[in-house]
Amino acid sequence: MIRSSNPFAQEPRYELITRVLRRNIQGGDLPEGLVLLEGPIATVMQTSRVPVQAALRHLMTEGLVHRFEGRGYLVGPEGRGIAPLRRDISEFTLDIPEAVDDALQTRGTWRHVYDEVEEQVASCQIFGEFRIVETELSEYLGVSRTVARDVLARLQERGLIRKNPASHWIAGPLTARTIREKLELRGIIEPAALRMSAPFIRYADVEHLLEKIDSGATLSSQSLSDALVELCISQAPNTTLVEMIRSNRLLLSSVNRALTSLGLPNDEAAIDQYRTLFDLIARHPIDSAAEYLRDHVEIVARRNLARMKIVAVISETGAFAPYLVPQ
Amino acid sequence: MISSLVHLASPPRLHQRRLRVRGTSITLLSQVREQAETDLGFSVDYELLDFPTCQRRAAMEPEGYDVYEQCFHNLDIVWFWGALQPIDINRLTEWNNISDLAKHGGISKYAWRGHGDAPVRKLYVQPGGFLGPKPSRSISMLPTVHNMDSFGYDPRVFGMAEGIKPSWAWLLDKRAKGRIALVDEPAIGFFDAALAAEAAGELEFADIGNMTIEEINALMALLEDRRRQGYFCGAWRDGDQAAQLVREKRVAVQSMWSPVYGQIGPHPGNFIEAAPAEGYRAWHGGASLSRHLGGAELDMAYEYLNWWLSGYAGSVMARQGYYIATPDRSRAHMTPQEWAYWYDGAPAAQDLTGPAGEWVVRAGARRAGGSYQERASRIAIWNTVMDEYNYATRAWERFIRRIQGSATPEEGAA
Repeated sequence: MIRSSNPFAQEPRYELITRVLRRNIQGGDLPEGLVLLEGPIATVMQTSRVPVQAALRHLMTEGLVHRFEGRGYLVGPEGRGIAPLRRDISEFTLDIPEAVDDALQTRGTWRHVYDEVEEQVASCQIFGEFRIVETELSEYLGVSRTVARDVLARLQERGLIRKNPASHWIAGPLTARTIREKLELRGIIEPAALRMSAPFIRYADVEHLLEKIDSGATLSSQSLSDALVELCISQAPNTTLVEMIRSNRLLLSSVNRALTSLGLPNDEAAIDQYRTLFDLIARHPIDSAAEYLRDHVEIVARRNLARMKIVAVISETGAFAPYLVPQ
Repeated sequence: MISSLVHLASPPRLHQRRLRVRGTSITLLSQVREQAETDLGFSVDYELLDFPTCQRRAAMEPEGYDVYEQCFHNLDIVWFWGALQPIDINRLTEWNNISDLAKHGGISKYAWRGHGDAPVRKLYVQPGGFLGPKPSRSISMLPTVHNMDSFGYDPRVFGMAEGIKPSWAWLLDKRAKGRIALVDEPAIGFFDAALAAEAAGELEFADIGNMTIEEINALMALLEDRRRQGYFCGAWRDGDQAAQLVREKRVAVQSMWSPVYGQIGPHPGNFIEAAPAEGYRAWHGGASLSRHLGGAELDMAYEYLNWWLSGYAGSVMARQGYYIATPDRSRAHMTPQEWAYWYDGAPAAQDLTGPAGEWVVRAGARRAGGSYQERASRIAIWNTVMDEYNYATRAWERFIRRIQGSATPEEGAA
């Protein structure tokens, strides 16, 4: 997953625009009666019109703007007979917080939209098979077709989508078999890589991690699982094998995040096992750690299969993103 | 001031002892509740839901109940959601009286255990929080009521001659075209359909209790084909709906639950219980403890669990055709005639009444499939939550929606 340090980077674009307009209306920078038109706002914000429409509708429900006889919206509450003031929004100096500006500016690259799409695509799959319509995706994100294609390429790399014979992008359905097979593969290749990595493991970092676990720091099982790859497994001198391990894990971690975001309980029991595993790696012959890792992955597989069953309880609300078409 | 006076004068409701039970129509009978309140001295509140709703809310809202009464197969959902707490065997007064069917998986060491989720496979809490058959000090669910289900059929359609052996294949039989209904529960009706497909020679499953994606697809394709041809007239979620389909003469064959045979109107001979050649689809119910319980509330819940197996509740269950995990304790609460009919499979010596006192069995009638021993040794499969349960459930739900959207043939599908 690609996370940015900017807190606004993950916010949908329409929310960023809403934020900016709200701030400037409330601060008086945009005067009462000013006619807000989608096109000029889209130009100022360097975006398409779709998120601007959404932002204006949002501000209307907040009572900050209202509809009138003409095209667009008027700044100010309805029912006060405010007279329309027709001026180009680019004439006003808008107060835009730096972080929001930054988030808006850099929206042009796939990184800033990827996480949202990944979550939507990974979670829809539990409900069945979906087609992803590329044009709808770029429209929905307010990005170019090129950026939408970049996003799709990353999703394909993670095994979240594939192309069917008609060259349509298809997601899902997610099955227990997919999960089981990926975990079976983990059980075969990861212990092998761990054995090979023994002379190269970053032992000091492993010791440091053990100290962190023992100090009671809150660590997610996902972060410990990632640490296992970074500090140990990926040090193995066979890059093909390491690549295979990384790519095999991509789908599993996407699914894991999606299920958690759908409200499924997190698996907390695994932390103890990681502690034992890192302890074996740091202080015992590598064979014992490799054996333990194999057993651990087997338990993870059982837990994941159990988790795949309880997914059935989540009812389909029908509210999928517009670019996802149920097949 | 006035309001506080009124408050003081009213009974201290807050301190009234009250146990909240969430469950299904299988066990949430007023006769059970009233007797439990009398015997235990605290109030018992029932929340009665259909199977899928009950399961979903039990998993996602465990604060809403103290005791959960459902079937073993859905522990795969509710237990793994973390909604329940282990039951300490040492606190169960009837533990040693519970039958082998629940504790060992079959009524004898040599009995076939059936495919799928036999209750013993979900009974004991194993290291790591898993459920399994290896005995341990705590269990997931107290085994209570159970039965071997089949289907009901109209003998005027399928024949009354001696030697006619009912088969699950009848659920896909041309003779009943347009008059077939299934129970809408993906861990139950799905297997009625799967047994029918195998019995009819249409499909074969490597492990019917844990189907592959291809097998699920094949089954759903077969069902969809029959639906398009107009085989199915409906799907039901509770016994009342099932009884109504029979009373309105809309079905010639359908999934059935035992109590429904007592509610189908004046001609019970026109819709009778099958003892299928292929064996039964069994289920085992029980009671579990919500994870939030502790202290005095937990004590109350244990009292209630222990009461459940002490005899009376089992006799009420018997009168709707269900068995209890401690039959010997219930025998004392039944007449010899009742015991002979429901457990021994003997012809009814007199008319027998159901839980609410209504006539459900006429003198001379005999329970299909015979005695408890005979029926319990012919379990083909248990209600099951398979590995691909989510996939199967979504496919099943689409199928049911199509049945309900168009019970007439050749309408737009997919």
